[in-house]
Amino acid sequence: SEMTSQRRRREEEEVRAEMSESGAQLFARLEARRCLKDIEPRLFPGDGGPQHGEVVELYGSEGTGKTELLYHLLCRCVLPNAAGGLEADVVFVDTDYSLDMLRLVSIMESRLNSWMRENNEEACRSCLSRLLVVHCSSSSQLLLTLHFLENSFSSRPGLALLLIDSISAFYWPDRCEGGANLAKQEEKLSKCSELLGRLLRDYRITVFATCHAIRRSYSGPSSSSFSDPDRPYLCRAWQRLVIHRLLCSRQEAGNNMAATAGRRQVLTVHCTSSSSSGTKAHRSSSFYVTDGGVEFT
Amino acid sequence: MVLLRDGMCPGLDEGLVRGLRAADIKTVEDLVSSDMEELAQRCSVSYKALFAIRRVLLAQHAAFPVSGADLYEELLSSTAILSTGNPSLDKLLDSGLYTGEITELSGGPGSGKSQVCFGVAVHISHQLKQNVIYVDTTGGLTAGRLLQMLQAETSNAEEQMEALQRIRVFRLFDVFSLLDCLYGLCGGGLQRASVGGGSVKAVIVDSVSAVIAPLLGGKQNEGMSLMSQVAGVLKTMAKDFNVAALVTNHVTRSGGGGGGGAPALGAAWSHIPRTRVLLEKGGDVRRPGLRSATLIKSSRRPLLIKEEFDLKWWSRSKEEGGGAAAAASGKRKRDETDS
Repeated sequence: SEMTSQRRRREEEEVRAEMSESGAQLFARLEARRCLKDIEPRLFPGDGGPQHGEVVELYGSEGTGKTELLYHLLCRCVLPNAAGGLEADVVFVDTDYSLDMLRLVSIMESRLNSWMRENNEEACRSCLSRLLVVHCSSSSQLLLTLHFLENSFSSRPGLALLLIDSISAFYWPDRCEGGANLAKQEEKLSKCSELLGRLLRDYRITVFATCHAIRRSYSGPSSSSFSDPDRPYLCRAWQRLVIHRLLCSRQEAGNNMAATAGRRQVLTVHCTSSSSSGTKAHRSSSFYVTDGGVEFT
Repeated sequence: MVLLRDGMCPGLDEGLVRGLRAADIKTVEDLVSSDMEELAQRCSVSYKALFAIRRVLLAQHAAFPVSGADLYEELLSSTAILSTGNPSLDKLLDSGLYTGEITELSGGPGSGKSQVCFGVAVHISHQLKQNVIYVDTTGGLTAGRLLQMLQAETSNAEEQMEALQRIRVFRLFDVFSLLDCLYGLCGGGLQRASVGGGSVKAVIVDSVSAVIAPLLGGKQNEGMSLMSQVAGVLKTMAKDFNVAALVTNHVTRSGGGGGGGAPALGAAWSHIPRTRVLLEKGGDVRRPGLRSATLIKSSRRPLLIKEEFDLKWWSRSKEEGGGAAAAASGKRKRDETDS
């Protein structure tokens, strides 16, 4: 039995050596991932932008351009340097089947077109190969998928950006499953947030996530003032992760829908960035959506 | 949440499952999130074995990442655009209903949502020779009306019957039957409904708000959760089976007052359809079939563009088609000279 325990210990040491990081993996983890501070300076206050390991939340109701902004950021990352891109790899976590690949590719093609006239298809394909898409249908699956993605992060040092559209997709099913217990309702998203926090610290990626507004914000004095429609409603663990919050809204054009038909709808983004010292910086920007994607005014 | 059961993967036997349960590890998520070394010690199994089990379970239950290039290739080859049969509506929708997406048609009572759905179903089954699933939650669908529309398309009785056979109708009136029906379709029903050589290309739910709206409001969360479930299964069905989902919704008076109504089911539903069209009556008493459709959400066309069309389009007979248009334009000319 002395021999078997010795043998067992040696076996475990071997396995542990296998399991622990190889030199290459360690390098991949610690090597500075592409910092995405310059991903879109027009959105962030000062010379700010998301640093390594920071989370940006895009909050707004339907039609305020959140998904279009994600396409804009995605293209900015995967395009080659010469075309104005960052040549960084991106993971897109799609929780409500909102990723419209045809729309994404048409934006990509129009951006590539302004750079090179021919051989667009080849360039497009190589840009698309920098994108990994994964679809989750429940918060449990999101948790498992984030664990699974850890392998991708450690084996691809070029992966700098994680996009989640949207983080609020499972809010109502989770709330219902949790019954009357608030802690149970928020448990799954809290676990995902905690895991995400660890991945951010370990792999220094940047995260942009959209969050759908659950209350329509009505203009006018008759609106209910006691429930602020833009108040964050997701769990605490998620709120703690968010460093930059982008509030997306439509510029009110009056109640007469006919007046704005044909004219481009202007969308505004208000950014609130919290720093480690507790101070907040603000910045407002506006854009409209064209065939070629987001265009800032 | 997936419960750990013995036999789920090699190495996960009953003894280990019991040991894990004693260590408060009951689900796959619990196992994957725990510290392997500590757990191996507590359950007295080898670290290597537990690590291998974790790897297999993760591969089995996590979603698998796909390269963007592969996804795009697949989409190009599998996406189809179904014409609605009405050129004005097609123009609004950028050629028609796209498979893999949910398109919503909203409008007040009498705005013609169901008529448009009948017309679309008839066009797809007769012209495009594909199968259609029609889920009727309002009781508004009658075979007689479908036959009437088909008789305007063709006078051949056999073709009419063939087209009718391609439309499979489900009549249900509550959300649980709807979920049952949709899950059943996903789990093999769509393949079974593919008769006569075609495959199911469209699933029409008229109307989705009739079964969900009564559940919303108040303090219960169940309504919102059921709505999310319906949305989830419709999207999964559209994507996985390459069908175009067309749903109808009613309208409520919008908070700002004035003007037309806004689609019902609230902010949570507004994110779900990829394209949304608002249908309104034309307002011209001489042309009672006239409707105007406004695009209120789209990722392909500019918002708030309008198209006008006549509901009678789907019932016009082929021979009269040209004649009716000429008569209409002639009538307009006469009116102009009158004034």
